[in-house]
Amino acid sequence: MQEKNRFWGGFAKLVSLNVVLTLMAVLLVLPFTWMILASLKVLDEIGYDSWLPEVCQWHNYRDVFTRKGIFFGRWYWNTVFVSCWITFLQVFTSSLAAFSFSRLRWKGRDQVFFLYLATMMLPGLVMMIPNYQNMILFGLVDSYTGLILPAAFSAFGTFLMRQFMMNIPKSLDEAAEIDGATKWQLYWDVVLPLARPALVTLTIFTFIGSYNNLFWPLVLMKTPDKYTLPIGMLSFQSSQGQETNLLMAAVAMSVVPMIVIFVLMQKQLVKGIMLGGVKG
Amino acid sequence: MALTKKDWKELFIGIGFLLPNILGFLAFTVIPLVMSIYMAFTDWNLEMHNYFRSEPISFVWFDNFVKLFSDPDFPQYFGNTFFMMIGIPFGVAGSLVAALLLNMDFVKGDNRKRLTVTMILTAVMVCCFGLLAVLGLGGTGMTILMVSLVGGVLILGSIGGKTVYRTLFYFPYFTAGVATYILWKKLYSPENGPINNALRPLLDALTPVAILISPACEAIGIGLLVVVGLFYLCMVRRKLRLWRDGESGSVSIWLGMILSSLPLIFAWWWVSPTWLHIAGKEEALSLLSRNANWVLLLMLIFLGIGWGRFLYNFFFVGRKYTCIIDRGIGDSTIVDGSAMVLNMALVGLCCVFWILPEMAAAEEGLTPPNWTSDYYWAKPALLIMGFWGAIGSNNMLLYLAGLSGVPQELYEAADIDGATPWQRFWNITWPQLSNVTFFIMIMAVIGGLQGGFDMARVMTDGGPAGSTTTLAYYIYTQGFGTGRLGYASAVSWLLFLMVFIVTMFNWKFGNRYTNE
Repeated sequence: MQEKNRFWGGFAKLVSLNVVLTLMAVLLVLPFTWMILASLKVLDEIGYDSWLPEVCQWHNYRDVFTRKGIFFGRWYWNTVFVSCWITFLQVFTSSLAAFSFSRLRWKGRDQVFFLYLATMMLPGLVMMIPNYQNMILFGLVDSYTGLILPAAFSAFGTFLMRQFMMNIPKSLDEAAEIDGATKWQLYWDVVLPLARPALVTLTIFTFIGSYNNLFWPLVLMKTPDKYTLPIGMLSFQSSQGQETNLLMAAVAMSVVPMIVIFVLMQKQLVKGIMLGGVKG
Repeated sequence: MALTKKDWKELFIGIGFLLPNILGFLAFTVIPLVMSIYMAFTDWNLEMHNYFRSEPISFVWFDNFVKLFSDPDFPQYFGNTFFMMIGIPFGVAGSLVAALLLNMDFVKGDNRKRLTVTMILTAVMVCCFGLLAVLGLGGTGMTILMVSLVGGVLILGSIGGKTVYRTLFYFPYFTAGVATYILWKKLYSPENGPINNALRPLLDALTPVAILISPACEAIGIGLLVVVGLFYLCMVRRKLRLWRDGESGSVSIWLGMILSSLPLIFAWWWVSPTWLHIAGKEEALSLLSRNANWVLLLMLIFLGIGWGRFLYNFFFVGRKYTCIIDRGIGDSTIVDGSAMVLNMALVGLCCVFWILPEMAAAEEGLTPPNWTSDYYWAKPALLIMGFWGAIGSNNMLLYLAGLSGVPQELYEAADIDGATPWQRFWNITWPQLSNVTFFIMIMAVIGGLQGGFDMARVMTDGGPAGSTTTLAYYIYTQGFGTGRLGYASAVSWLLFLMVFIVTMFNWKFGNRYTNE
């Protein structure tokens, strides 16, 4: 009898817990639901109480690309292009530096690393203003180079990679050295493959960070067809923001890459957050 | 210390690997840093001092800072930045609740149980649909949409368990950016946004109720303030107990006392016009046109009891067990800070009741707010949006990791002692998670100080009347809007100073707290 009661007690708990979690999840997802449905409406339907479109206007999605003054496809491409470069460069330079900080021994290493750490607490805003001056000086305003370069080096990335590389057994280095490996081989063939989880994490974080970055492109980019998505969306909103249905279609499309990354990379991401968070 | 040949070689290789990174580091961090310090003391202006036109830059010493502190709008922007941080405890609490729910044993459940649940829930859903069809309530598409949404998530969740819910919780945070801010701006749209569309009938239904309780509003306000006071006294009691038992040191109890007293002092500001008279802001009276000296009295009584008890214990009774002076400072920051925010919110609610009769007596009854285009509602609107994104954020994942690290023996021991779930949480889970909470809070405060730019730029342009301009947005408008780079640099250094203080606090107390 008792056994049975426990089963049904646990059962009731299970159901109620599922209901609570579902209600929370639905509340969180509601805005996205509205977004998708609104993007399928005709403009006049937007303000209606019912969220559902009479007839799904799938061509809204196509219209976003053909709308005058909205270079949506171009912005999409720009963002992906810039983000990929930033991600590649940042991961590469960070892993090199982290290798030097964690696996090599040289005088002054820890002092330099401390300097890196110290700059991590500087608000990014402090550096933005002089950086903009430098961009003017080097004629990089309104160029992709100007967007990519400052973001290609990161103290945080170095820190994250170093923390991970510190945990790779030192004996591997010695073994490799006995086999006559150079430092570069040690980096490329031994440490880097083992640091894969950290690499993946940093890649995801950097990509998403630069995909969403608003401040720097907003300051730097002047020509509309060179915009990245965030500032593109901003100008879309301010110039043709009344057309909610098209705007929502654009929003939906700009969110898609992140959802794809998230669903594909969920496991690594969750691990990575523990890596960067708990120890940082 | 001379370097040997081997040292040189090692240095050479080490720097070689570091080279790409350190060049960028120098070019985009160190040099700008030095420039920024210099700029903060000059009148550097984008219009006058640039590549194409270089008039002499003059060194103005501390003029920028003087100008900053004498700017009449600056206190407002400063206050906005802190006001926006009110959302932090709520967001963290939301994350914690989500993590606790996701961590419960029966979400993982065994397959047989889960399958049964799924089948039953599906059956219930089908029955609901059938009922709707029979009763004819399913006529509107909205009902079907909502029911199928809830049903879909429910079924998916009971099959997939933890992963499904975690993914759904995480979506808002993961997609946060310009796109979702634009989405929320549309949601908040005053005339035809879905939020106001949903609120309008609700508020229409509530208007008679509001009119009905109008005479009682004052009493409700008093009641709320009494709740605030009692909550405050509870906090004082808790602090004194911790202090007596040697769980918290003298610094932390003073800090906690001051923090928890703040809402009561603010209640004077917000509810009682007496202070507005003193401050010479008579025009603000129109909002709270009643004379509420009793608030002053009430709050004074509570403060008197609280501080009286504290001072009496502190100076005359003394503690049972001694401890180091700054022990428990992390705990008092988190718990008292959160309690303070909660109390502030209650005082705010009291204000709402205070003006409710006037709102309900208006011709069109209660109307939904204009959200981002209303001076008073813009910040709460942003806070609600922030809360939406914060529940399923990284913090939830950190808490999940923290929860999996809590030793199960503690719970087993507690079960043997017959602890209630409430006791289990406060005496095991919460202390075990304290270092995660502390880390999250510190990071959130650092982020909060620098935050608010994206939201303000996309949704409100810092308005209406500067009510959503945070320091970050102010730096942007000053530096890149009007081109006063020197001045903007000075503001950014002020921002740095605040971040620095928080970071130092973390360094000094964070580790110790973790080790306790």
